[in-house]
Amino acid sequence: MEITGIVTADTTFFWEGCSNHQLRFQKCDECGYVRWPASIICPKCHSMKTNYIVSGGEGEIYSFVIYHVAFNSNFKNKVPYVVAVVRLEEGPHLLTNIVDCDFAKLKCGRKVKVVWRKIGEVTAPYFK
Amino acid sequence: MNYTRIRKLKDKYAIVGVGYTPQGKIPGRTAMSFYAEAGANAIQDAGLKKDAIDALICYRQFPAANDEPEATPYLVAQHLGITPAILSQESYCPRHQFIQAVSLLEAGFCNYVLIIYADNAVSGKRMFINEATHSESPAYNFAYGEFGFVADYAMAARRAMHQFKTGPDTWKEIAVNQRKWANLNQIAAMHNKTLDYDQYINSPYLAEPFRRLDASLISDGGRACVVTSVERARDLRHPVVAIMGIGEANPSVDIHQSAYMSGPTGAKKASEMAFGMADIKLDAIDACEIYDCFTYTVEITMQDYGFFNPGEGNEFFKDGKTAPGGKMPVNTSGGLLSEAYFMGLTPITEGVMQLMERCGERQLGEKTGTNKPEIILCSDNGGVLQTHSCLILRRL
Ligand SMILES: [Zn+2]
Repeated sequence: MEITGIVTADTTFFWEGCSNHQLRFQKCDECGYVRWPASIICPKCHSMKTNYIVSGGEGEIYSFVIYHVAFNSNFKNKVPYVVAVVRLEEGPHLLTNIVDCDFAKLKCGRKVKVVWRKIGEVTAPYFK
Repeated sequence: MNYTRIRKLKDKYAIVGVGYTPQGKIPGRTAMSFYAEAGANAIQDAGLKKDAIDALICYRQFPAANDEPEATPYLVAQHLGITPAILSQESYCPRHQFIQAVSLLEAGFCNYVLIIYADNAVSGKRMFINEATHSESPAYNFAYGEFGFVADYAMAARRAMHQFKTGPDTWKEIAVNQRKWANLNQIAAMHNKTLDYDQYINSPYLAEPFRRLDASLISDGGRACVVTSVERARDLRHPVVAIMGIGEANPSVDIHQSAYMSGPTGAKKASEMAFGMADIKLDAIDACEIYDCFTYTVEITMQDYGFFNPGEGNEFFKDGKTAPGGKMPVNTSGGLLSEAYFMGLTPITEGVMQLMERCGERQLGEKTGTNKPEIILCSDNGGVLQTHSCLILRRL
């Protein structure tokens, strides 16, 4: 599956981090808020002063769905698969897939950890 | 928040005409043709001449199918042969149409506002996938197999299952109760199809926890209505259905970062505004027409409105309480789930038609073993719970 266009001007730092197996997020230098999606300003205090942190890659499943239908032909061989929002310990909510999992054990609040997989042009974060 | 400052708008504006088109699966027609027909029918239904329309507000337009011309607000006006002073069309579903209409009328920029939505989604094979927008690039979502509204709302519903007692046992009641209304509505897509609990449970999963029968229909067709002052409405042909209260709220945050999947959604603040304006309490409501893109949307909206506490939805919807003959009728046309999908205009125009007593077999009152309605609560919602509007309609 050929995928391009994942990286945007706002997320270059994020994907550069991913290529080194690091989950990088912006942290406001003024109020300390760790934000995602990437933005030029802090949504809490509007400061543009920004630092970067590397997440420990641990979090919990905030919510998830199991796709039983392939809405695109590229996913015909992948259903059923799990799309989830993971709440990282540092705060950000990240859309991802839960991989290599027993569906019966999936639940909101379950602890998960980042794993790395190559997809198209980038190395991307998945969780298990 | 104190909303007494908007109380001056209470019962000052009215919805005076509703426009229908053939709906369901109507092959061989453009989206534009449904816009034109719905608009013309609403104007005629109100008993107006087209040149009276001095504001046109279109719901969001989706990319045209089959190389058709885009149904821009310019083209809608051109087809209707009108040159309105005010012309507007939103892009990503913020549900601002009726507050915009009331505000424009109150300010004096116009006298008659036409509001329309139409699509040829069945014939154009629209799956509402690319239409969903998110906080990351489209390619990011594609990479993770994140496709559109069904799974996005299912994500919210799953979180709700974690936070309080809900799930298929509650949602099946909503689906079944609404189907019973559709069975009384000749123009509903599901008019001839009954639905029981087993059929619901055996319906295949699309994006678990949602089954096919948790999801709204996709429809060809259109719907429109005209808004003007109550003063002018008194000279028109139908009973006066006033906007008693109206409110809007936009939590805005993408479902991927949302902390309100399980509520309170925008329904809470929007209803506080609407009820503050109307100066009434929930116990004054006779029936509800709730935006029901999914079964769960009905539950979380009515929960946030305060009809029941979190987790008490099953108790509220069971035993047909929202079905024909029930104490609190909900989505009396069959709704988006069982009648047709015309965004918020499906519920809102149904509220208007019920208060005008033009609903035939499904008419609230004696005919359906329900209370004769004076006040109906309507909702509209967009994005993935990112925007909400609430209308309280009353027959004057
Ligand atoms: Zn800050």
